[in-house]
Amino acid sequence: MTIQFLTISQLSDLLKNKKISYEELVDETFLLIKKYSSINSFITLNQKQALIDAKKLNVSNDQNSLTGIPIAQKDLFCTKGLKTTCGSKMLSNFVPPYDATVVSNLNSAGTICIGKTNMDEFAMGSSNETSFYGNVHNPWKEGFVPGGSSGGSAAAVAAGLVPAATGTDTGGSIRQPAALCGLTGIKPTYGRVSRWGMIAFASSLDQGGPICRNAEDCALLLDAMSGYDEKDTTSLKIDPTKINNNINEPLEHLNIGIVREFKQSDLSVDSQQLFSNTIKEFENLGAKISEISLPNIVQSVPTYYVVAPAECSSNLSRYDGVKYGYRSSNADDLESLYVNSRSEGFGEEVKRRILMGTYVLSSGYYDAYYKKAQQVRRLIKNDFGNAFKEVDVILTPTSPSQAFEFGSKGKKDPTELYLEDLYTISANLAGLPALSMPNGFINGLPVGVQLIGNYLDEEKILKLGHYFQKETDHHLKKPNLEGFA
Amino acid sequence: MDDKTVRTIFYLSRLKQDKDGSEKIKNDLKAILEMVNSLKEIDTDNIMPLHNPLEETSRVFEDTVSSDNEKSLFLENAPESDGDYFIVPKVVE
Repeated sequence: MTIQFLTISQLSDLLKNKKISYEELVDETFLLIKKYSSINSFITLNQKQALIDAKKLNVSNDQNSLTGIPIAQKDLFCTKGLKTTCGSKMLSNFVPPYDATVVSNLNSAGTICIGKTNMDEFAMGSSNETSFYGNVHNPWKEGFVPGGSSGGSAAAVAAGLVPAATGTDTGGSIRQPAALCGLTGIKPTYGRVSRWGMIAFASSLDQGGPICRNAEDCALLLDAMSGYDEKDTTSLKIDPTKINNNINEPLEHLNIGIVREFKQSDLSVDSQQLFSNTIKEFENLGAKISEISLPNIVQSVPTYYVVAPAECSSNLSRYDGVKYGYRSSNADDLESLYVNSRSEGFGEEVKRRILMGTYVLSSGYYDAYYKKAQQVRRLIKNDFGNAFKEVDVILTPTSPSQAFEFGSKGKKDPTELYLEDLYTISANLAGLPALSMPNGFINGLPVGVQLIGNYLDEEKILKLGHYFQKETDHHLKKPNLEGFA
Repeated sequence: MDDKTVRTIFYLSRLKQDKDGSEKIKNDLKAILEMVNSLKEIDTDNIMPLHNPLEETSRVFEDTVSSDNEKSLFLENAPESDGDYFIVPKVVE
């Protein structure tokens, strides 16, 4: 029996019916990971501890839907005793003394941490090409990007090595790789999932969430990941989601908005066609489609590239070679210790964003850039508020195109790659929940659409995603992995 | 963005300015600034900046002891320590 490409629900059924044991499932998972190691989706494996955890489960009979399910953790969630690098040389020797709340929540739900997935360095990137640990291949085509920054998580799930993985999303880092790898991923409402133990990039934008094979599994995982955490001062004081039990409830009279300001010309002809087909598929499911206006949404990318680097430069100032992380061996005094450790420990994209953030926060430029961007951010949020008076959900493409070849974007001008997040960034700026799911293929590579919901409407967008997936088969396709074995 | 500004932000960022890459980073930052300059066209008079998307103010913690002293555990990650302290290059002559 192969466990490859099975969903959480399917694996859970196998476990409940004793068709496979917890230990066998873990063993099979590591065989698959080793077989397809050339995808480079993992930075660190947790094989020894995973087997110990599986054995403990064999003793207990406390079986719920997530008990014994192998989960991959993005390598920016702190895992006690297990190396956590954030895709950077800076943290290449960092072994956290504690678990992130997301990790402890999933452990408590009975999942087994299989390992830590590759990612863009400090989650800065849209192609997984900025990782210190090498590029991750898109399982759908060797030499093509899986998207980023949660590219290792998406690749591991797309290759069927694990049924689900955690991701984080600051400007699209769950949704864009999910789209480029033919998966479903959700960025929850800001504050829904604890950020404690999640290595910070841009604290007012970062949010953790799941990447799975379908919306139903995303609901299951989000239910376990979410909930109030007193250790995170931005955590919302609300109960964990309980979506999985209600996911089959009918959705009626749903109004879906299409954004007028997103130009068709931003998409390739093939993507335009697929997006039009998806609108029709939703109409056939009984949704009412109407055009809405988000007048300031075209300013999302410029706003983001002021706010996110500013927060990044502040957050990453902690890496100084003193308390943890990389220390340069080439330092004569304290100042050169700081400068050399940071210069040798950070990669090019991270440095670029630190410099940009330092610039917009520096004296004389703060008002012109940082304050201005935060004002435009409010206008973007207000636009969404007005739109949600007219519609329940907003439908957009997830990314402008399908996966592209390594090195083909952003080498001469970094802003070329920044536009990958054109459709996803606004949900982070406004703090809204947004889901990406597959809606077809271009040249054999998957693409996705995005459903943006109002605050705390994760249930609505996941139900809609599930409903769409019951009637379509885009999410059921699997890549041919012969070239990777 | 002139050379002096580039030097200043490298200094403030505590990053070394690589001679070979100076022109590249200057051009990259220029390209990013060109992109974000479109924000200047937006009328934001009387608009309050948005710092937390949900308008929530961060809570403060009660100042209570929540766990034991884990000094030795934290020092395990230090690049250099003497068992009680983080070690850095000599600061005072």
